[in-house]
Amino acid sequence: MKYILPDKLPTTVVGSYPRFPEAKKALKLKKDRYSNKEIIEELIQSAIRRVVEDYLEAGIDIISDGEQRREDMAVFFAENIKGFKISGWVRVFDNVYYRKPIIAGRVKWTHEITVKDWKFASTISRGRPVKVTLTGPYTMYDWSYDEYYGDKKEAILDLANALRKEVEHLIAAGAKYIQIDEPALSTHAEKEDIEIEKEALEIIFQGINAKRIVHICYGKLERLFPDILDFPVDQFDLETKNSNFRLLSILKEYSYDKELGLGVIDVHSTRIERVNEIMKDIMKGLEIVPPEKLYVKPDCGLKRLPRDVALAKLKNMVIAAKKVREELQ
Amino acid sequence: MELYSGICGSYPRPPELRKAIDRYEKGYITKEELNSVYLKSLRMIIEIQERAGLNIISSGLLMWDDLLRPFAKGLEGIKLNGLLRFFDNNFYYRVPVIVDKIRRKKPIVLSEAKNLAKHTTRLKKLVLPGPFTFIQLSRNEYYSSMRSLADDILDALVDEIKDLAKFIDFLQIDEPSLVDSEIPIDNRKEGVNLVNELVSRIDIPRDKIIVATYFHLDEQCYQILLNLKTGLHIDMISTPRKAFNALKEYGFKGDLISLGLVDSRNIKVENVEEIANKAYDILDEIHAKAVIFSTNTWLDYIPFENARSKVEVLGKLLQIMRGEVT
Repeated sequence: MKYILPDKLPTTVVGSYPRFPEAKKALKLKKDRYSNKEIIEELIQSAIRRVVEDYLEAGIDIISDGEQRREDMAVFFAENIKGFKISGWVRVFDNVYYRKPIIAGRVKWTHEITVKDWKFASTISRGRPVKVTLTGPYTMYDWSYDEYYGDKKEAILDLANALRKEVEHLIAAGAKYIQIDEPALSTHAEKEDIEIEKEALEIIFQGINAKRIVHICYGKLERLFPDILDFPVDQFDLETKNSNFRLLSILKEYSYDKELGLGVIDVHSTRIERVNEIMKDIMKGLEIVPPEKLYVKPDCGLKRLPRDVALAKLKNMVIAAKKVREELQ
Repeated sequence: MELYSGICGSYPRPPELRKAIDRYEKGYITKEELNSVYLKSLRMIIEIQERAGLNIISSGLLMWDDLLRPFAKGLEGIKLNGLLRFFDNNFYYRVPVIVDKIRRKKPIVLSEAKNLAKHTTRLKKLVLPGPFTFIQLSRNEYYSSMRSLADDILDALVDEIKDLAKFIDFLQIDEPSLVDSEIPIDNRKEGVNLVNELVSRIDIPRDKIIVATYFHLDEQCYQILLNLKTGLHIDMISTPRKAFNALKEYGFKGDLISLGLVDSRNIKVENVEEIANKAYDILDEIHAKAVIFSTNTWLDYIPFENARSKVEVLGKLLQIMRGEVT
């Protein structure tokens, strides 16, 4: 089935979706070292199916697998890339903790990590493109304890090479939207770090025939500009709603001309944004880039929201994008 | 020179407490049941610190969700908003939004001070968020001038400190924003004045007050910090060379300095002798009456299981520096 993307204001998601009970059960079985892997796979696929059904119901144009297989964005890749171990629980906020990875040896790609879920989501997406999200090398390094390298650049470039292998497999499978998630980048605006990230993205993306996206969120994003503007990407996918769109004036100042993934849904709030409100926010984005370059999406992954809230937010987002499109006609 | 050893602020929540908080939030256990797990956890982490040989014992801030939270929740006039990254960490705090006049109607961390006093006979330390960092990390939607906002925050903190002073020996006022180089230097100078104003209004001796900074230190930051009329905690790990150069250039002639020499953002356990050598190098540059050996920041950034070995390093470091072992 072929799906025709709107040429203006396509809607998309950042990656994660609230975890369905099937996925929770699968993760529990995996943790308990349950031997029947087929059962675990069935549960994961069932969860992905429900994510995709929600996206289709909301009318999202470019969807994801909802990251149902991932316990956490760092741990998932650490468990699948050679060289990592996992430490105990470390707090992220409130009483929410994650198992922080440890880099204990040279990192190396050994097997496909995300391809299977991408393929499955693609078979049930009714032609809608499925975006793949990979936790970026900078964030993997920053959110791990480094007990092996002691040299940030060397570690990050090795991670980039590992992710490059994954990207090659995704491209071979037919993926057209590859997003590197780099939430940690906004905490380090040092030029040296930005240069390392640029080099890492060049390794990951060089010569690929797919949309190259980097997602950055929650920090002082403005301090990354203009330095990151020459990253080898087609699109910056940014958190803007939660920070009241203060970033946009900075993008304007630097004559931003890449595609812009504009966050119009606050994923840290259960309040459902009204259609009119989202329309106004989309208009703010249109002051920076033309509608062909503006992607309408939430600030970040939706995993922390209750599923009904996430779905309601997405529905309003799609309606708002559609209305603005009509107004632009 | 008096020598002390103590952690900088928090201790990671023990797994039982994490689970109890979850269960309480879901309505499975009562507040009393949660409190009983809290007290058990508090006794455990006090014992860990005592056994390691620390002579300043911290309450560990076990129920604090972030540096600002007890006050953001306990003071009137403040609402909580979304999450924002806490400096350069993969840790988020909830942004306090000031929507009305700030008033302190009841004590906020007094019971924590009392519980700490009840369970240890050693020197006791409690942490409070500093006024400058509180303002920097909050969103003001009520006050028309920063001065009037600062006045009300100072009033609240002064009242809180008056209530808890008799239960503690050291007061730590956390002011990481004072070394945030993205905040204009003149604002940070004002921040130092604000802290000085706070301490001028409380009865705790100034050599028993530690203004804690972390995540960064360079010469410019340090120069500003030297205007504080209190003891000072500095992070010697996050920007080690710059921090050491700052001490070398400007020394320290105050009464109390706390040196964050043990890395509480990494699980790797330090070699105590190497840290002792660093400590000797630093002591050559400063002339304080009292020195505290400490972690660079809160222990929240490592798992509970790894925190004990960090505390043990601090204990051994104190022994070495006192010449009790060679």
